[in-house]
Amino acid sequence: MTSTDSTAVRCTGIRKHFGEDDARVEVLRGVDYTVRRGELSFLVGPSGCGKTTLISVIAGLLETSSGEVSLFGNPLARMPHPERVLFRRSHLGFVFQQYNLLQALTAAENAAIPLLAAGVRRREAVDRAGALLDRLGLGSKTGSYPRQLSGGQQQRVALARALVHEPRLIICDEPTAALDHATGEAVMELLASAAVHPDRAVIVVTHDSRVFHFADVIARMDDGHITHVEPGQRSVAEPHPGSSRNSHPSA
Amino acid sequence: MNWVGLQMLRNDRAKFAAMIVAVSLAVFLMQNQAAILATMLSMTAAQIRDVQDADLWVTEPDVECFDQVKPMRDIQLLRVRGVAGIAWAAPLLKIDAIGRSEGGRLNTVTLLGIDDASLAGLPQKMRVGRADAIRELDTAIIDPGGHELFFPGEPFRAGRSVRIRNRRLRIVGVSDIAAPFTGLPMLHTSRSTAAAFNLGEQHMTSFILARSAPGSRPEALCQKINTLGGLRARTTEQFAADAMWFYGSQGVPMLFMVTITIGLIVGAAITGQTFLMFIKENARPISMLKVVGTTDRQLGTMILLQGAVVLVLGSCFGSGIAAAVCNIIRTQPFLRSLYLPWEIALGTCFALASVTGIALYASFRHVRGLEPAAVFR
Repeated sequence: MTSTDSTAVRCTGIRKHFGEDDARVEVLRGVDYTVRRGELSFLVGPSGCGKTTLISVIAGLLETSSGEVSLFGNPLARMPHPERVLFRRSHLGFVFQQYNLLQALTAAENAAIPLLAAGVRRREAVDRAGALLDRLGLGSKTGSYPRQLSGGQQQRVALARALVHEPRLIICDEPTAALDHATGEAVMELLASAAVHPDRAVIVVTHDSRVFHFADVIARMDDGHITHVEPGQRSVAEPHPGSSRNSHPSA
Repeated sequence: MNWVGLQMLRNDRAKFAAMIVAVSLAVFLMQNQAAILATMLSMTAAQIRDVQDADLWVTEPDVECFDQVKPMRDIQLLRVRGVAGIAWAAPLLKIDAIGRSEGGRLNTVTLLGIDDASLAGLPQKMRVGRADAIRELDTAIIDPGGHELFFPGEPFRAGRSVRIRNRRLRIVGVSDIAAPFTGLPMLHTSRSTAAAFNLGEQHMTSFILARSAPGSRPEALCQKINTLGGLRARTTEQFAADAMWFYGSQGVPMLFMVTITIGLIVGAAITGQTFLMFIKENARPISMLKVVGTTDRQLGTMILLQGAVVLVLGSCFGSGIAAAVCNIIRTQPFLRSLYLPWEIALGTCFALASVTGIALYASFRHVRGLEPAAVFR
C-alpha cells in the first residue's frame, strides 16, 4: 500500500470493449469512479449497463481498453499478472450472487479458502474462519456443508470468505439477488456492520432498491457511464471517517 | 490448496470412481496380457535356464532353440572337453515320443536323457522324491504338468508308470521345473534309459552341457569353441535369448501388443476424458479460486495431485487384481510358470501415466484459459 490519501479506488476514463469490427461492443465508455476508504459504495443500474464489467476491471480480472484503475494508490496497469494475482489475494475480498461455495468443503473450510491460497496452514486457517463465522452468527454451522445451509446462511459463509483475510477492498456482486427480502436485509446489515471499516472500502453492485438505504454513496450507471452519484441514507445517518456526502469528488 | 483439490475430487464420487475403475481395468488388462506374453517367451527358454549346474550350451551350428534337435556325434563332446578352460562337459539327449499311462492316457512326451555319470542337467528342485533316483534303469521323474496330463486330478506321488514304445518307465519323483513352452510332459531320465527309446538314431547327444573352470569367462570359452568349427557355443543366457527371439519373431508378441495397446488407449482415453469433464464441470469453482487469488501454479499442482491420486489408486487396484489373477491361474500345473515381472507392473503404470498426462496437461491448459471474471456472470 503506497497511498496515504483517503482514496481506495480511483477509476479514470475507463473504456472497455469486447470483440472487434462488426462484433465490437463498447461496454464501458469512459467511466470515472472513486471510492473512499471506509465507504460503502453502491453501483446500481439496469442489467447490461456495465456494472459487472466495471467491478471485474477494478478487481484486475479484466484488462481495460483504455483508462487507469488505481487501488490504494497502486495503478493496476503497472502490475504484472502474477503480482496482480497476489495483490488480489491479499487486498481484495469477493461476495458473489451465487455464493460460489465449494460443495466439497464445510462452511469453515469454504471461508478459509483465501487463507489457504495464501499458504496459511489448514488447521490455523479453518480455526480463524470458524471464529469469524461465529462472529457472523454461524458458530453452530462451521462443520456444515453448503447443501445443509439456507441461502442466507450460504451468503454469510461467502461474506466470511470475503472478510477472513482482512482485505482492504470488498467487491460484492448482487449479494442479495438470490435471497428473499428479509434475508437480503439481514445479509446487508451484516455486511454493513462487519465489512465497513475506516481503512476498508466496500463496493456493492446491486439493483435491489430495497437495500439502497445501506449505502454511503450510490453511483448510478447506464450504457457504460456513471450517470449520477448521490449520497446514500447511511451516509446521512452515520457519517464515517474518510467519506462524507459533501466532500465526495464524484458528487 | 492441494487439500482443497483433493476434497473436490473426493466429492465428485461418480467421476472419481469412474476414473479409478478405468485406470484399474486398463492396468489390469495391460499387465495381464504383458505377463502372459512375458511368461510365454520365458517358457521358450525355461528348459535352458532350468539347467543351473552348466553355464555353456554347445549345439550344432543351426540350432536356435531347445526344441530344435540335431543329433551330434560323440566326437564333438571330446572336442569340447579338450578346450582349455572347460571344467567339464556332459551330453544331454532329447527325444520326443508317445507315452501312455496306466489309465490309458496318451501324450507326446519329451524325454531328457541325463548323463549317467555326472547327472549334469538334473532338476534342482523336486516336489516329490529325489532327482538322483533316475540312476536306476527305466526310471524317470516327471514335471507337474505332465503328471496332471497322465494322471489328472491325482495328487503328486511316485510309483506310477508310463509306457513308452512298449517299455515301462517307472515314475520315481515329480520335479519342480518351469512349465515348458510346448506344454508336453517333461520326463527326466538317465541317458542310458533314454537311449533305449531313441530307436534308429546313431548319435545319442542332442546338446552338450559344459561348465567353465574357475577363472575362465564363459563368453571367451564360447568364442574358443566356435573357432573349432561345426559347433555353436552359447552361454545359458545367450541361448535363452536366442530361443526367446526365435519364438518371439514369429508374430505372437504382435498379437499381445495389439491388446496391450488397446488397453492403454482405452484406459487413457476414458480416464483422460473423465478427468477433463471433471475439470470442465468445476470451471465455476475453479474460476472462483482464481478470483480469490489462487495462482496458476497452485492450480497446476492441484490438478497434478488430483491426477496422481487417480493414477496411483487405479494402478494399485489394477496391479493388485492382476497379481491376484496371476496367482490364481498359476495354481494350474500347466500354467505354473505364469508370473508378473515388476518391470511390467511398473512399466504399464508409467505408460498409462504418460498418456493420461496429456489429459492432465489439457486440463491445466483449460484451467489457465478460464476467465475468472466469468464467475460474476
